[in-house]
Amino acid sequence: MPIWSMRLEAGGAMLMTDDSAPFREGFDQMLATAAEPVWLTFRRRAEMDRFALLGFPTRRQEAWRFTDLEPLTAAAPLPMAAPLPMAMADDLPSPASLALWLLPVTTHRLVLANGHVVPSLSAGPPLPDGVWLASVAETLRRRPDLLEGAFGDEDGALAALNAALFTDGVVLALEPGVTLETPVEVIHHTTAAGAHARLHIALGAGSRATVVETAIGPVGDGAAAGPVTSWGNTVGVVTLGADAVLTHLHIQAEGPAACHTAAVRAVLADRARYDACAVITGARLSRRDMAVVLAGDEAEFRLYGAYLLDGGQEATLSVRADHLGLGCRTDEVVKGVLAGASHGVFLGTLAVAPGADGADARQVNRNLLLSPTARVDTKPELEILADDVKCAHGATVGSLDEAALFYLQARGIDPETARRMLVEAFAAEVLDAAGLPTALAELAHRHLWRWLDGRDS
Amino acid sequence: MSKLLEIRGLRARIAGGREVLKGIDLDVSPGEVHAIMGPNGAGKSTLSSVLAGKPGYEVTEGTVRYLGHDLLTMPADERAREGVFLAFQYPVEIPGVNNMYFLRAALNAGRRQRGQAELDAQQFLKSVRERLKLLDIGDDLLRRAVNVGFSGGEKKRNEIFQMAMLEPRLAILDETDSGLDIDALRAVSDGVNRLRDPARAIVMITHYQRLLDYIVPDRVHVLADGRIVASGDKTFAAELERTGYAHLVDAA
Repeated sequence: MPIWSMRLEAGGAMLMTDDSAPFREGFDQMLATAAEPVWLTFRRRAEMDRFALLGFPTRRQEAWRFTDLEPLTAAAPLPMAAPLPMAMADDLPSPASLALWLLPVTTHRLVLANGHVVPSLSAGPPLPDGVWLASVAETLRRRPDLLEGAFGDEDGALAALNAALFTDGVVLALEPGVTLETPVEVIHHTTAAGAHARLHIALGAGSRATVVETAIGPVGDGAAAGPVTSWGNTVGVVTLGADAVLTHLHIQAEGPAACHTAAVRAVLADRARYDACAVITGARLSRRDMAVVLAGDEAEFRLYGAYLLDGGQEATLSVRADHLGLGCRTDEVVKGVLAGASHGVFLGTLAVAPGADGADARQVNRNLLLSPTARVDTKPELEILADDVKCAHGATVGSLDEAALFYLQARGIDPETARRMLVEAFAAEVLDAAGLPTALAELAHRHLWRWLDGRDS
Repeated sequence: MSKLLEIRGLRARIAGGREVLKGIDLDVSPGEVHAIMGPNGAGKSTLSSVLAGKPGYEVTEGTVRYLGHDLLTMPADERAREGVFLAFQYPVEIPGVNNMYFLRAALNAGRRQRGQAELDAQQFLKSVRERLKLLDIGDDLLRRAVNVGFSGGEKKRNEIFQMAMLEPRLAILDETDSGLDIDALRAVSDGVNRLRDPARAIVMITHYQRLLDYIVPDRVHVLADGRIVASGDKTFAAELERTGYAHLVDAA
């Protein structure tokens, strides 16, 4: 057994497991046929070894205590052994299903099917000077410098697997001082198990961009239970130069038999601002890990998000914000609506490094349980190692306000509509607070309404 | 003329708790204004809650007929759509639900029930403006979420404004005067007086006689220990002011 198959367990015992074994054959084939820069081949090998060392995360790890990947890892035989080939017609979203998720304005659109950019579905106006927007495959051919060095050892096991196996993705790079007015729209359509795509966003000093990232898949028969049949595993790498501003809306609306995992790593220079919003309603099992490093002085990170779950859905939103510079600010408000027998998890860590004085960070997680079988685990944490900081965090779990329900009914509104009004108000508040540009706000609200419409009261 | 509301032998208790209403009889005809007075704990608010269909109360005996229908078998929202309106003693704050959006949903729910066409945004706004003018209320309340950040007086005025919009057949005002200073009391009372109508009955539940100086009732009842122990016409209110109702309560 090669060395990469050994995992050092707590206590020092060597455990002989290798979660990477099913991937090895396809991985070797891919490396043998791919015409990629040498550094990338080395990188992929290193990442696969790292995945082998780490293995799939398990609930024995603290960060995964509430997230059980079993529906994914037990769904054998998942055809995830080989990197997926170029998308076939069956893998493409229908125009009707795609139309549901498009922004109501002109965009630079890139549609990915099972991890490959589909040129026939991608379109947009000419790019302004100083803007690079292309698939990862094209970037590797024409601007490999934009990707070299954009892989991080600190990411988790699933990010390592992504780095080893990724097929394609999107690269957005802005030179300093460039504003890209037209939003970039990235749509991941996943029908197969093991679509590994990347999203690289690098904004030069003082540049600005807006990115909407939407994950969709087959709608299926509506029941979120049982094994998963598709798995999208994405990695986002965000680098913001001084004074750069990125607005990043993520919509996760995968089908009921999907597993969706995503890791986003962002590094912010002086006075850079990262405005993130996430609306999560899809997938049987999903997890989004965000790691934001406020490296420069007065950098600012805002996250407004909601997860809305029903049936047997499970979703985890994990956010870590590391404050390294002086006077950095973080504002996180995440709301959960849990119906049926769903399970929501919020893990939030605000960390302030020694000497990172003047940090002002707030983290709020509010949850609404709509059924006695719905569950939520919420774990907001602070790691404060500086003296002069202002940090606040809190979490609540509650049910619909009976007094408000009666008040609405006493004015003639039927109970079902009354409940819907209260749930909508609860979730819409966080979307409104995100302060998104109009078109993005409209998309986010449309997504919320669709969830409210599709739910059995 | 048929009765709008007929209450016969109504007994009710807080769910799983003590009996609060111990046999209420009351008849209300269209166009009438009734005042129900009495000491704390007499069952005044329980009566209004039972009539509006608030959860948490059990009717153990008796009947309530509204326009000839059995009111007690109707869910709260249906009662409201059929024209029963409760002005809350403590109007509920509902963050995130815009006052106008809420009111239009309520109004159109009632119109659907009555087989009337729903009001579109323009018709609705016109109706809102007319009512605001009638009640002499500014429109700043409308842009906010339902009752959120309203003062006590604003909340009570918003209740009366809702009443003006929904045009109920039977309005129950539960201690609408409580917590109001004299100016707010006058404003709210003026609003109620403007909504008096030959087709509409109003039942005011109040702790204080001063409300009756502003809204003059046709009938005054004293509720004590779950029963109506005395009734009279509007002169009865003046008499009560002299004698108090302690002697009536003791007699009960």
